[in-house]
Amino acid sequence: MKTMILAILIAVLTTLNTTFLKADDYTDAMLKALKKMGDAADKNEKAAVLKVRGDFERILQLKKNEWMVNYYLGMLDYMLSRYAADEKNNDDVKKYTESAISLLDKCTDVNDQFADAYVLKMAVQGNRWQYEPNKMNDIIAKSTEAKDIAFKLEPENPRYYLIDGYMTFYTPENFGGGVEKAQPLFENSWKYFKTYKPKDETYPNWGNDQAAGMIAMCYIKLEKPDEAKKWIDMALEVKPESNFIKGFVMPEYEKMKK
Amino acid sequence: MKYLLILLFLTVSIYSQDTKISGKVTGENNTPLNGANIVIEGTIDGATTDSTGYYEFETSKTGSQNLLVTYYDYNEKRQTIVIDAGKQIELNVQLKKAEVETEEILVTASSYTSGQNSQVTITPLEIVRIPGSDGDLFRAITTFPGSNQVDEGSRITVRGGDANEVLTILDQASLYNPFIFDDDFNTSSYTTINPWGLRGINFSSGGFSAKFGNVLSAVLDLKTYEMPQGTGGFLWLGLANVGLSGVYLSKDKNFGATMDIGQTILEPYFRLNGYLVDSYNPIPLARGLGGSLSYKPSKSSVIKGIFDYSKDKIGVRNNSPSYNGFFNSGSETVFGNLKYSAGLGSKTYFSMGLSYSNHKDDVIYGILNTLAKQKYAKYRLDVTHQLAKKVDINTGAEYEYNEDTFSGKVPQYSYDLSLDAPAFDVSNREHTGRLGAYVEAQIKPVKTFFLIPGVRLDNHTLSKKTVIDPRLSIGWKFAKDMVLRGAVGIYHQFPKLEYYAQSNSYDLKPEQAAHYILGYEFNKMEGVFLFRVEGYYKEYKDLVLRDKNTFLYTSGGKGYAKGIDVFLKSSVTNKYSTWISYAYTDSKRSQYDAVTQSPANYDITHNLTFVASYNVTDVITTGLTYRVSTGKPYTPITGGVYDPVTNNYQPVYAETNSGRFPTYHRMDINFQYIFSLFGRFAIAVFQINNLLNNKNLYDYTYNYDYTKQIEIVTTNKRQFYLGLGLQF
Repeated sequence: MKTMILAILIAVLTTLNTTFLKADDYTDAMLKALKKMGDAADKNEKAAVLKVRGDFERILQLKKNEWMVNYYLGMLDYMLSRYAADEKNNDDVKKYTESAISLLDKCTDVNDQFADAYVLKMAVQGNRWQYEPNKMNDIIAKSTEAKDIAFKLEPENPRYYLIDGYMTFYTPENFGGGVEKAQPLFENSWKYFKTYKPKDETYPNWGNDQAAGMIAMCYIKLEKPDEAKKWIDMALEVKPESNFIKGFVMPEYEKMKK
Repeated sequence: MKYLLILLFLTVSIYSQDTKISGKVTGENNTPLNGANIVIEGTIDGATTDSTGYYEFETSKTGSQNLLVTYYDYNEKRQTIVIDAGKQIELNVQLKKAEVETEEILVTASSYTSGQNSQVTITPLEIVRIPGSDGDLFRAITTFPGSNQVDEGSRITVRGGDANEVLTILDQASLYNPFIFDDDFNTSSYTTINPWGLRGINFSSGGFSAKFGNVLSAVLDLKTYEMPQGTGGFLWLGLANVGLSGVYLSKDKNFGATMDIGQTILEPYFRLNGYLVDSYNPIPLARGLGGSLSYKPSKSSVIKGIFDYSKDKIGVRNNSPSYNGFFNSGSETVFGNLKYSAGLGSKTYFSMGLSYSNHKDDVIYGILNTLAKQKYAKYRLDVTHQLAKKVDINTGAEYEYNEDTFSGKVPQYSYDLSLDAPAFDVSNREHTGRLGAYVEAQIKPVKTFFLIPGVRLDNHTLSKKTVIDPRLSIGWKFAKDMVLRGAVGIYHQFPKLEYYAQSNSYDLKPEQAAHYILGYEFNKMEGVFLFRVEGYYKEYKDLVLRDKNTFLYTSGGKGYAKGIDVFLKSSVTNKYSTWISYAYTDSKRSQYDAVTQSPANYDITHNLTFVASYNVTDVITTGLTYRVSTGKPYTPITGGVYDPVTNNYQPVYAETNSGRFPTYHRMDINFQYIFSLFGRFAIAVFQINNLLNNKNLYDYTYNYDYTKQIEIVTTNKRQFYLGLGLQF
């Protein structure tokens, strides 16, 4: 009898505990949400992104002002803004971008030493171009400011070079961009990914496959199929299921070969 | 014990039985909201709606719980629900779009601004692109209402008053001579200020803050970047001028330097545009050299030194009733400013500056041969302190030293300039100090309203006069996008030293203006559509007036200016932007030689400017400026009286400013092409000023006995200009 009670008690406590965990173990909830976020990104499904965004928002609701949660929410809103841009829905681009900016500001208000938030801020500013082109100066100023801080805080952050590379890649040559200027940035990113260790499991750890994939993209633009193929393989080695490679880089590669 | 067991089981069963909660979240008009978040407050139990607005989730919670529903820019909704274990709940929620929170009103005077801030009226890029402004900052500002550009030069005149009633401030230094070719006629002057080095431009044509002293009409407040924005260089090759500039910023961003060097080369430009090269001797030549050094000793402080040097020479053939020949003049200006600014804790910020300028100006025409020198030195301190959450205090003080020397030969009668005319030698030196101090409070009791009471005090050592100027400005954002602004205040400006030199024991009062300003602004989407209208009344007294009998200056002049300014700007698309500014002015004064109330020198009744710019492609931009304005007043000469003593005719003047030049018209266009040259960013500019070749008058001269009026037409006939810039 005694053992039985004990067993039940343990069962109850465990149940209680899981309920508590559900509510309180931030890391656990974060890890689950991060896993879902990774899956959503891989599937490249807007609906899945929206769903996981809700998970983060619920975590935030529990742990008010948690800068890391705000970072991921900002990142998800940035992803959503890119979907909206693809759909040419300027209202939504604005809605998600403004939200991302405000969330990332909240993140750095609490932790102004978190380089990844500034890296994302750099990228997010570029969206404003679509709905308020008359604010060009402000956009450039804010993006440059974020870039400077990010570099100061973590000069070897691989995502800093990745985002810088993206921005350079998509800027016309006349305006200081272009493939040739972007490629060394992606290569730097790739280099720093090799030694990059997130501080803990909840820290951002995305982009390694993209760095390799974008180097491949550079070679695709330069019409060098062998090098491109090499980098596609390297990207898939890092992340075999990468939707970025399979859904974006590889089709471009096939197009070039034709 | 049995009881406990049951209880425990019960508990277990409660926890194990989850309740399903589901429903729909919609916005206005029942449109489903995709991505809305539903959560039981204090837990992470919840869900996100799908594209039909539907959500469902399970929770183990029971009893009374708060359900929180949120979605982006919609008002969040909190609803209490009672959960019975296992009993499904269906709950539909409708959210309302959040009223856009009335944004905070910006504390500004009624001014026109440019810079990197998102609230500016026009951007630096727009400024340099204004056709007809030749990339000149001051000329660009004359497209704003309140100022006019009938003289076509870079001098800004506001609401009837002369250009010297406008004070230009660079950082904290006063700039008195930021011009080249500024002699005699203001038709060809250019400013030496590089618009790209500016972080903020603030032009206020009245009702400005107590910070600004010794200025009657308007303030152009320019702020430079504390540190350069990067490292690079720019080379400009133009048909009339060449320039080279460079900026450097150290890796750690704590040290920066800039450099600017330029020279005019006008002969090819004159030849292309059909100017008679032999009307000039020498051909106008200007050279400039400037630079800055910045250093950041700590995160919140910066030391910056600015240096600027310019020199010019010009000789223009000029026919006057008494002398035909070249009007020769030259000037040389040195300017320096050293500034230190720092934050003291999070609530106090101070900035101090030490500036110096030395300007020399010589003129030779007929018997006239003079050299004028002006020296200014100023020390200034400004402090801003956040006193309380809603109250900021600005205070500061300045001391300015001014010395003028004037020497040379001047004719006895101003109308007789012939080489053998009676003349006398003059040599005069005057100097004065001025001590100024101000304090003002920026009070913002609510987000949508501000009030700035302020007061300043100025003491002039030469005339031993002290004045106290109370000022008040208010702003009220009474509806979304709509702001009312008002300002009243007393403004004083001490007359130039040359007037004191010709007064009775330096007893001149500072000229006084009372400003009353009321404006309305409609600003949709932060500048995408901007409409402003502003009415003003200014009352002047103690203006400098020459006594008819003693020829000495007194403070007996007075006058008024009233009018309306309208500004409309629209940049609906990224491709097309346009603005129109219109000003109506009625400005009468008794001042200088006008003993009765006469139109002020720049009493331009109607002044209309239209500017449009169109991005043909990403790399090609074209623009157009059209100006039309009432002709400027002038004092006609009605005839001549023979004077046997000098063997010359003496002009007979009509009432001061009783004549008017014909209506002024001018249209300018330009094209810009951005491309890549040697792998560098390059820009080519082609412009045509005065496209329609309108003949605009800026003066009359007369034959020897004043029986024939001869028109002096602006030198700005149709002009072609071509320039190429290369960034490296």
